[in-house]
Amino acid sequence: MRTLWWKIMALALVLAASITALRTPLAPAIVYASGGPFAPGGNSASVIGYRTHFMAAPVRVFLENGGQFVEASSTVVADDTHLTARFEVPVGLREDMSDLVVVAPGHGAMRLFAAFYNPEKGTGAVDGVTDAPQQGERAGFVFPNRNILYETIRNLNFHVPMWFTMMLLQTISFVFSIKVLGSGRWLDDRAAVQAVNASLLFAILGLITGSIWARATWSGWWTSDAKLNGAAVTVLIYLAYLVLRGSVTDLAKRARLAAIYNIFAYVLMLLFIMALPRMTASLHPGSGGNPAFSQYDLDDSLRPVFYAAVLGWMGIGTWIFNLQYRLARIENRHDEERLR
Amino acid sequence: MMRNGSARLLLLLALLPAWTAAHAQGEPDWLVDTLYGSGKINTVITVVSVILLGIGLWLFRLDRRIARMEKRTK
Repeated sequence: MRTLWWKIMALALVLAASITALRTPLAPAIVYASGGPFAPGGNSASVIGYRTHFMAAPVRVFLENGGQFVEASSTVVADDTHLTARFEVPVGLREDMSDLVVVAPGHGAMRLFAAFYNPEKGTGAVDGVTDAPQQGERAGFVFPNRNILYETIRNLNFHVPMWFTMMLLQTISFVFSIKVLGSGRWLDDRAAVQAVNASLLFAILGLITGSIWARATWSGWWTSDAKLNGAAVTVLIYLAYLVLRGSVTDLAKRARLAAIYNIFAYVLMLLFIMALPRMTASLHPGSGGNPAFSQYDLDDSLRPVFYAAVLGWMGIGTWIFNLQYRLARIENRHDEERLR
Repeated sequence: MMRNGSARLLLLLALLPAWTAAHAQGEPDWLVDTLYGSGKINTVITVVSVILLGIGLWLFRLDRRIARMEKRTK
């Protein structure tokens, strides 16, 4: 156990981030609203909240359509998570879809986007609209609660660090491969291959966890998406590296050939994971122009937890690589003694 | 042994898209119950379990490599 501190640090970060990721409550949110097309006139909708406390607070329910608000004429609260609201929908609302906005003290403004279809579009309602409601403060340290995602937003702190760790280990491998080209040492080649081995562990964990997350949110284990296919192709490229390296028997030739391939593989990885997905629209966050760190993708409450998780998992990945590298060094010494 | 293992994994991963495409449509009841119930928290549990299991399997592999090395150096 050489230089203990960073290993302890990595474990502590992963532990702290994982506990926070699992224990932090979600913000209250509206997850469902029934009701077909809302034509002008009387319409009612039953609304389901998640982690809401409708009973405790005076709840106000609104429709929002093109910046115009319509307050519910009556609201019947059944329990903390269920209520029924009746709207007198005015003539002439502008947009196709109306949002549902529920305002309650301590809850902030909870919004269900595109909750109701508006079959008769106009140029803006004249009567029956009110001002925008007061937002109110949201209480405590909570994770954002988005419909479709719900609790799975916590996966951000588990799934994404896998990919960051993979990229770090492949960068380490890349550096060792460049060293091979300079020095021709077998040991550097062994280090490069061990880093790729460790990176593949995290890549495959990233693929599996991503697939499970996709099943629960996008309803498919896999979608044909630039980011997903790019990640899969990256894994195939690195597996091909292992196959190629294993198929050359001459040790000196093997080291150089593998190093050259690995440098190309790294560039392809950056291209497939970082560059190409940003050029296309995608279900996956961080695609279509914006990096994943924009304010729309990462809430302020998630950010510190996510960074801790990424740093911690990078540390654990480096630790795994470090163990394999030390073992490879012993194997290397053993091989050289045998060759002599 | 290493080469054989990664070649097999390569084949498996190459076949994966075809297999998933065939299974992408429709939502069986057991999955809706387990993944969609209770705010989809079971998805998170599954993801965390997969990570722990993956690292556990990796430790077994490393253990085997070290054992082999120990036998050779004896």
